[in-house]
Amino acid sequence: MLRAGRAPHILSVSELAQLLRSALDAGVGTVWVAGEISNLKRPASGHLYFTLKDDRTQLGAVMFRSAAQVLVFQPADGMDVVVRARADLYPARGALQLYVEAMEPRGLGALTLAFEQLKARLGAEGLFADARKRPLPRWPRAVGIVTALHGAAIHDMRTVLARRWPAAAVVLRPVRVQGRGAAREIAAGIEDLNRLADVDVVIIGRGGGSLEDLWAFNEEVVARAIAASTVPVVSAVGHEVDFTIADFVADARAPTPTAAAALVVPDQAEVVGALARAEAGLRGALARRVGQARERLVTLDSRLGDPARRLRDLTLRVDDLGARADRALMRRLAWDRRELAALGARLERGGPPARLRGAREQLDAAMGRLRFAAAMRVRHARAALERTAAQLDALSPLACLERGYAIVRRGDAAGPVVSDAAALRAGETVALVFARSRARARVEDTEG
Amino acid sequence: MAEEAPRFEEALAELEGLVQRLEKGELPLEESLAAFERGVNLVRHLTQRLAEVEQRVEVLLKTEAGRLIRRPLEDEEQ
Repeated sequence: MLRAGRAPHILSVSELAQLLRSALDAGVGTVWVAGEISNLKRPASGHLYFTLKDDRTQLGAVMFRSAAQVLVFQPADGMDVVVRARADLYPARGALQLYVEAMEPRGLGALTLAFEQLKARLGAEGLFADARKRPLPRWPRAVGIVTALHGAAIHDMRTVLARRWPAAAVVLRPVRVQGRGAAREIAAGIEDLNRLADVDVVIIGRGGGSLEDLWAFNEEVVARAIAASTVPVVSAVGHEVDFTIADFVADARAPTPTAAAALVVPDQAEVVGALARAEAGLRGALARRVGQARERLVTLDSRLGDPARRLRDLTLRVDDLGARADRALMRRLAWDRRELAALGARLERGGPPARLRGAREQLDAAMGRLRFAAAMRVRHARAALERTAAQLDALSPLACLERGYAIVRRGDAAGPVVSDAAALRAGETVALVFARSRARARVEDTEG
Repeated sequence: MAEEAPRFEEALAELEGLVQRLEKGELPLEESLAAFERGVNLVRHLTQRLAEVEQRVEVLLKTEAGRLIRRPLEDEEQ
């Protein structure tokens, strides 16, 4: 009911809302408030909508994109957070809302929480799986390094690379390794080095520092760049105790930049040693192979025989047999002669002339038989010698003589066989024994 | 970057193969000799390459247009 005269000041809804907003601004302003996130929504706009509540009350909250995108961790339902917010009325719906400017997780630090969240997410995606890890090349042509141009990390790596394996080129892609934008630079560095044909492995790293200092290596953009790299990536961030997301995604993790450098190249001292061993192996193997061949040659040679030596052997055997045959024949003839003489003597001693005629006749007959017998013996002996000679002939040196060789004997045809001109003197007479004939010759000169 | 000589890796693999074949002793003598000579040449070549090589250190820069440039890293930049 409106009464005349006491007309109150009537506000429009908008005016009231404006009053409330001013009252809130003046009476509450910006506050820090702790609560639990629920009913979180993240539409395409990038703004975050959620309810902040405790066990008795809940308030709607919005975090605009500009503020939400600098969060390192992902807010989620059920998360206890502390927010810096301004309480205000959302005029279109008349709802009281918290306009959140900043957010921190309670308990854990924001970075620690972000690290755990990203690790869990990428792990679930399989980015850390052992099956994804590529082996490092044994002999990289060039080593790509993504790190700060100035600093201990690059210095340490260059020192180790130069000492261990100067054969590999070093390509440094200088980047900022901390601060805003560092992660994007590191990711771009990995991509750029991947475009160089001779870079066979990439090291990303920096020296030690606080969690904030190392933060770039915990960002998703770096993790994605490592996963997308076509060449293996070695992560070497901080000191032994520092682990980063990059360490988990990388194909190999080194505790320090120095260790990373040692990991990606062979040690030339070892390689030189291996080369020396290879050469020794080659020499040993060849020596054994040649030894084998020589042994085989000796065996073959002995089986084949030396033709000249064989001819000499056979010649000696022929000579020996011939001499033995001669001696045997002479002995036989001498014996026969002695028998004959003895017989004659006995006849002469035998007595009176009366018996002489008969005796002479007897003697003549005996002499005739004796001659015949002796002649037969000689013939037999000669035949035996000829048979032997024929056998020898079949065995060889005579066959050689048939082909035009001659045997040289010292003095005459019965002299010793000469097999070395050194045994002869100039002016000496030698016999040349051909297959069926002989010749005498005089030595003019010797040489050799 | 053109490859001026056979890659170290390839030369080393060839060397290992030669040593193995020679050690088996199955090669004819003539081929053994050839394998030995080739092997010793490889050892010389590789050892010499290691002894002579000086590390090339380059810096990779990107132009505004996104083009990559490699140039030797001057030590005063460090």
